[in-house]
Amino acid sequence: MLKIKHLYFSYGKKEILKNIDLQLTGGIGCLLGPNGAGKSTLLKCIAGILNPKAGEIQLNKRGIEKLNFKERAKFVSYAPQEFSVNFPYTVFEIVLMGRNPHINILEGPKKEDIEETKKAIQTLKLAKFENIPFTSLSGGEKRLTLIARALSQNGQLMLFDEPTSFLDFRNQLIVLTVINKIAKRFKKLVLVSLHDPNLALSFCDKVFLLKEGTILKNGNTDEVITEENIDLLYSLKSRLVKLGNKRFIIPEKLL
Amino acid sequence: MKKFLTLYILVFIGSLFTGRLLVNPLHFSTLSKTILLDVRLPRIIIASLAGAGLSLAGLAFQNLFRNYLAGPNIVGASSGAALGAVLAILFFSFNPLYIQLSSFIFGIIAVTIAYKMSKLVGNGIVGLLLAGIAVSALFTSMVGMAKYMADPYDKLPTIVFWLLGSFSGMRWRDLLFLLLPISIGIIGIVLLRWPFNILSLGDSEAKSLGLNVNIYRKVIIVLAALSVSSATAIGGIIGWIGLVSPHIARLLVGYDNRRLVPASAFVGATLLLFCDDIARSIAATELPISVITSLIGAPLLILILARRFKYVKN
Repeated sequence: MLKIKHLYFSYGKKEILKNIDLQLTGGIGCLLGPNGAGKSTLLKCIAGILNPKAGEIQLNKRGIEKLNFKERAKFVSYAPQEFSVNFPYTVFEIVLMGRNPHINILEGPKKEDIEETKKAIQTLKLAKFENIPFTSLSGGEKRLTLIARALSQNGQLMLFDEPTSFLDFRNQLIVLTVINKIAKRFKKLVLVSLHDPNLALSFCDKVFLLKEGTILKNGNTDEVITEENIDLLYSLKSRLVKLGNKRFIIPEKLL
Repeated sequence: MKKFLTLYILVFIGSLFTGRLLVNPLHFSTLSKTILLDVRLPRIIIASLAGAGLSLAGLAFQNLFRNYLAGPNIVGASSGAALGAVLAILFFSFNPLYIQLSSFIFGIIAVTIAYKMSKLVGNGIVGLLLAGIAVSALFTSMVGMAKYMADPYDKLPTIVFWLLGSFSGMRWRDLLFLLLPISIGIIGIVLLRWPFNILSLGDSEAKSLGLNVNIYRKVIIVLAALSVSSATAIGGIIGWIGLVSPHIARLLVGYDNRRLVPASAFVGATLLLFCDDIARSIAATELPISVITSLIGAPLLILILARRFKYVKN
């Protein structure tokens, strides 16, 4: 269970996150909100990349914000929104780097780490790319590699910052399906940030609406994604439609 | 790694028998024994250590700055070392020990200033890059000033020759001074080869993968500064080795630092040793080492880059 209490974060004097309270007990949670709402900042605070000004972050009742980098990375896997490597490491090497928190710095990876890496690569069906430079992969393949890395890192909590950005229609579906499968199969707690409320409707159990650094609404996906809430969140006029047993939200006009 | 070791040993043995005096391996005279053991052997070992140290420092900075073009001088170590040596030549009568000491100390001072200043001009690695450029320029200008003021008949030729780098006249006692700092640098960087991979992903990534970036960055800068300063203190300014060697190593073993670090050490040692052999045997008098390393290094770099570009295009 992930529990965040009274979290504040600011860059210099600019307050980005204000009094964030968040609780995710299981399954996939989704941060939804406009650009600049603080989604990435919140994920980075949980991952330990940024230091919050105040507040508590607990994972399974254990405060993780005081842990050192290595200990924390054992519990929290993180995949960034944009991942640029300047050196063309192979897919295998990238996924292996996910093992870093479990590796003795001076000894380097052991047999066990190599095996975990292979397992993660197989789970994501990336074996045929294993020895190909990461930089030469397509956008979708890159995302899957980062998910494999998060899996090899083996955090109980997995954070994915906009895993569908820059992806085509089909690849968005592939990536979220894979994340969903991993969450179920390995019983992971997953927190993603998304831009498309319809993807949240199809894939997420819980939704947190984030605007201007505060959480507007949170709860089960069907209860939170309503015309009223989406209009408030994005300042527009939208319509919720039902097709069979699925629900979709369509933007109609700007306010 | 065996191939690298074999190649290095071959060049090592070849170097022992290269030079103005021909040594017959089957029949040693007292003179040839002295030349082999007291003149060539220490020089070979010093050139190898300096080559390995410069190459590893170059690789360390390339990983830290996430940039292929970073060289050993990027945070000012060589420029600082140059000023140290020049000051020692100016103010003391020619004494190799003073030159080495002063050069080493100034190399470390330059890096320290760059590191302290980096906090003022930018965040993390960008700040360090900018501060490094500024400090480098500052020390280089002071070297220029010192050259301008130096006695043109007595001191200036010494300064110019030192700045072009040379291993001429190296004996075992020179190694004594170099051995500790450069060994710490080389061994330290070789031990930290795994976290180099993580660091080269950038700060945020490295943190989220559980690496304490601030500590490791500091440690690596210290190790690289030790290597560069001691190599420069003993051999003078040696260009290109630190930039080219990691590129050659990459072409041979790929990008994973677990293999790349030891490979770069061997390539650097082999390359500098080879260049030094040329410097001391091709002409009747010794040539400065930097002339040879640039003469070989620059075309080699073009060759490597052309090959990589061709690979990228296809």
